Order: sequence, then structure tokens, then C-alpha cells
Amino acid sequence: MEDFELLRNVTIGQYLPTGSLLHRLDPRTKIVGLGMLLLAIIVHKAASGLLVGLLLVLGLVILARVPLSFALGGLKPALPILLLLAALQLLFGWGMFSTSCHPLWSWWVMSITPCSVQAVIALLARFTALILLTSLLTLTTSISELAHGAEALLRPLQRLGVPADELAMVFTIALRFVPTLAQQLEKLLKAQAARGADIHGGTNPLQRTRQLLPVLVPLFLTTLRRGEELTLAMEARGYTGGPGRTHYFRLRFGRIDVVALAAIGLLLVGLFSVPFGALDQHGLALLARLASH
Amino acid sequence: MELSFWQIVTAGLLGAIAILRRKMKLSVRQIVTAGMMGAIAILLGVTRLGFIGPFPPLIMVSATIMHVPVIIGGVLEGPIVGLITGLIFGLFSWLQAPTEQPPVNLWFSNPLVSILPRLFIGVTSAYVYRALRKANEPLALAVAGVVGTLTNTVLVVGMIVVLGYAPLAVLAPAVAPNAIAEIIIAVIIVVAVVAAWKGIEGRRKGSSV
Repeated sequence: MEDFELLRNVTIGQYLPTGSLLHRLDPRTKIVGLGMLLLAIIVHKAASGLLVGLLLVLGLVILARVPLSFALGGLKPALPILLLLAALQLLFGWGMFSTSCHPLWSWWVMSITPCSVQAVIALLARFTALILLTSLLTLTTSISELAHGAEALLRPLQRLGVPADELAMVFTIALRFVPTLAQQLEKLLKAQAARGADIHGGTNPLQRTRQLLPVLVPLFLTTLRRGEELTLAMEARGYTGGPGRTHYFRLRFGRIDVVALAAIGLLLVGLFSVPFGALDQHGLALLARLASH
Repeated sequence: MELSFWQIVTAGLLGAIAILRRKMKLSVRQIVTAGMMGAIAILLGVTRLGFIGPFPPLIMVSATIMHVPVIIGGVLEGPIVGLITGLIFGLFSWLQAPTEQPPVNLWFSNPLVSILPRLFIGVTSAYVYRALRKANEPLALAVAGVVGTLTNTVLVVGMIVVLGYAPLAVLAPAVAPNAIAEIIIAVIIVVAVVAAWKGIEGRRKGSSV
């Protein structure tokens, strides 16, 4: 029951150049725009609103010409826990805020209420939308674009003493190495399995550590070694960090970006002004009525 | 939220951190180490390898090994790197919060819980390590591991309590056994990795120009 192909599931951090509309946007637009959408989805409470949000995000994925199956692959690692959670919430009303719902179906201690159905829909919609949004950012923006965008956005903070350039470099390095390290981890897991180790066996934390140790320690060590090489390479190319660095790559804000930001602004306003809460209540009433037949 | 006092405290802390940064310049090695350790922290989170045991105390789900790279970063390259790596861990924990279970997801969606406490993990580990290093290296590493893990646990739980999300009396017994396991695990990994790395690096140092 081993899933070795970790890299396939790490869609966050991989760049897919499809030349779509989204790819041509200024990275700053994408960071700010997708960031706002992310926040909106985290904050939004109504299930119907979240479904609309999810549809929006799916639309963006299609706009980016990213194959949907690829983007959704990022959900795989979290799927078992997510489904368990959804089932628990559905059947037991776990984590519910108001309990004024009449059960549609109940048996022993379990019951499915319209409220829990809605809560589960909200949960699944939110989760999927968030994963897709995050992956979308890295799928449509190359690492260097992300670095330049982040650096440009952080530059105003430089006056407060925050080393924006260096921070941007740190984030770039981190994002860029996640897929590489995932590959490394995969190799280590396979090597251990070939020697007969059972990674997902023991649930006792100490036992699990003993199994993970031969994988984790080499992972850290090879990563640190890569770090040494990277440091040497950067120094050899004359990188000194710090402000005053000029860039070969210049960011240009185009008409597409203004349109994109305006569109996102409208969407956000729509998301929060349309009375999704009332829609939810109607949905609840509908479900309740369906149940009583 | 009813916590304007704490918001001021937070702002003050962030200001202090910003001032600290002005006085310290980052070397290339520090930038790279922070990035690499950050990458490991993200990897551990994304592949769920950083989570040990899905059942018992569900509360510290986001912390089991993910703080270890932060400790190692702080120990190897100092408090600023520890701060930055902690920031990456915190940011990622915040972004991952919506995918967690009900009580936890709400709490960690608040950056004061997911990001702010994590900033200090690397800092405390670094200072503790520096203080004890002359006396006994392995001990310094072990204590740094303990302190780093405790910083994470205490500050995160502390924030949850301060913000009124859950009472201490309920959280403490649920978190305690998990915390102890985390400390042991962290110490083992930190000591193993840093000792091995210093050994390797020691042999290499002779040849660097």
C-alpha cells in the first residue's frame, strides 16, 4: 500500500508552461489576485458561495490550459483523511455550530442532517478550491517570475528594515527545491523498502521514528550538501544579495493585468455581496422538505 | 475579536523583529540554508510525512516533525536563519490550515497561531545551542531540540488559549503526551543530522580555499 510516486502528487511547486492567458499575466497580479481569492475562500462561510468559488477556480484552471486531472492530483495525499473527516462530519455533525436541524436519516448515534450535508459540501468545496488555487499559482508562474514578483511586492517593506531581496531569494530557493527534494525522498523510501523496511507500519510514534530515521537523516544531509553546492555556485557568479541589485528581467504591467485585477475585484465583491447565506437557508429548507416525503 | 491589547503586543513584536533584521546582514550560505530547510519543512507538510499517527491527540497535527528543519536551520546558521525558516514553516502551516480537522483548522487559520509562534522556534534553538556549544556539543544539540520543540508547543498552545479558542485545562492534557513524543523525536533527529553534518563538514573544511 505504498505510494512512492510522491513527485506526482506534489503539484504545488511545479511549473507547466502552456502559454495560456494566465501565464502571460505579470506575476505580481497573480500573487495578489490569487492571494485575495485564497483569503476570500478561507473566510467565506456559506456552502453555496463556496461552490461558486470552486467553479470559479476550476474555470481558472481551464483558462490556464492545465489538464484538470493533473491539477487535482495534488489532492491525493490528503484524500483519505479528508474523506474520513467528511464522513465524520456528515454522520456525527462534528464541528457543527448550530444544531437546529432535523435529521433526514438517523440510525443509532449517527444522523444526517441538512446542516451537516451543507457543512460537508462547504468543507469539500473549500478544500479543493484552496489546493487548486495554490497549485495554480505555481503552475502558471515560473520560479524566477515568482521570485521577481515577490521581490517587487516586498520592496516597499525594505524601508522598515526587512531584507526583501534576501527573503525573496529564500522563498525562491525553497519553492524551487521542493520537487527536487521530493524526488530525493522518493529514492530514499524506495531504497529502504528494497531493504525490507515498512514505512507505514507502526503507529507507535517511537516505532515510526525508528522507521523514518534512515530516510530523514539522509534527506537532511543531502539537502545540506546541495545547499553547500548552491552557495558555492551563487558566490562564484558574484551574488552578494542586498539592495541595489539590478535585474536582467524587468517586470512590466500590461493591460491584461489591469483587466485581470478588475475582474478579480468584481468577483470578490460578488462573492461577498450576493446573499449566499440566504441561499443556504433555502437549500436547507428544500432538503428538509424533501426528507419529510 | 476582543483582543486589542494583544494586537498591540503583536505589532510591537513584529516591529522588534523588523528592527533586529536591520542590524544583520545575511550571507549567501544563510540565505541558501534558510531556503533549503524551508523546502524540507514544506515537503514534510505536503507529503504528510511530518505527521505521526492519525489518531490520538489530534491537536498538534501540524507540528510533529515539521519544526525540526527550523531547529536545524537555527542551530547551523544562527537565529536570523531560524527566524526565516520558522516564517516559512508558519506560512505553510497557515496555508495548510483549511485542510485540517475541525477544531484545528479554525485555530491555525489565524496567523497569530500558525505564523507568529513559529518565528521563535529557530531563534530560541539557536541561542540555546550557542550558549551550550562550548560545554558539550551533543548536549547543546539535544537541549536545542528540546527548547525548539517546547517553544513551538508552548507558544502555539499559549496563543490558542490567549485568543480564547480553548481553555488551557482542556488543551494541556490532550497536548502533553504528544509534546513529549515530539521532543524525543526532535532531539533524535537534530542530534543525528547535525552531528553527521559537522563530521562531514569537518573533513571538508580543510580543502576550502
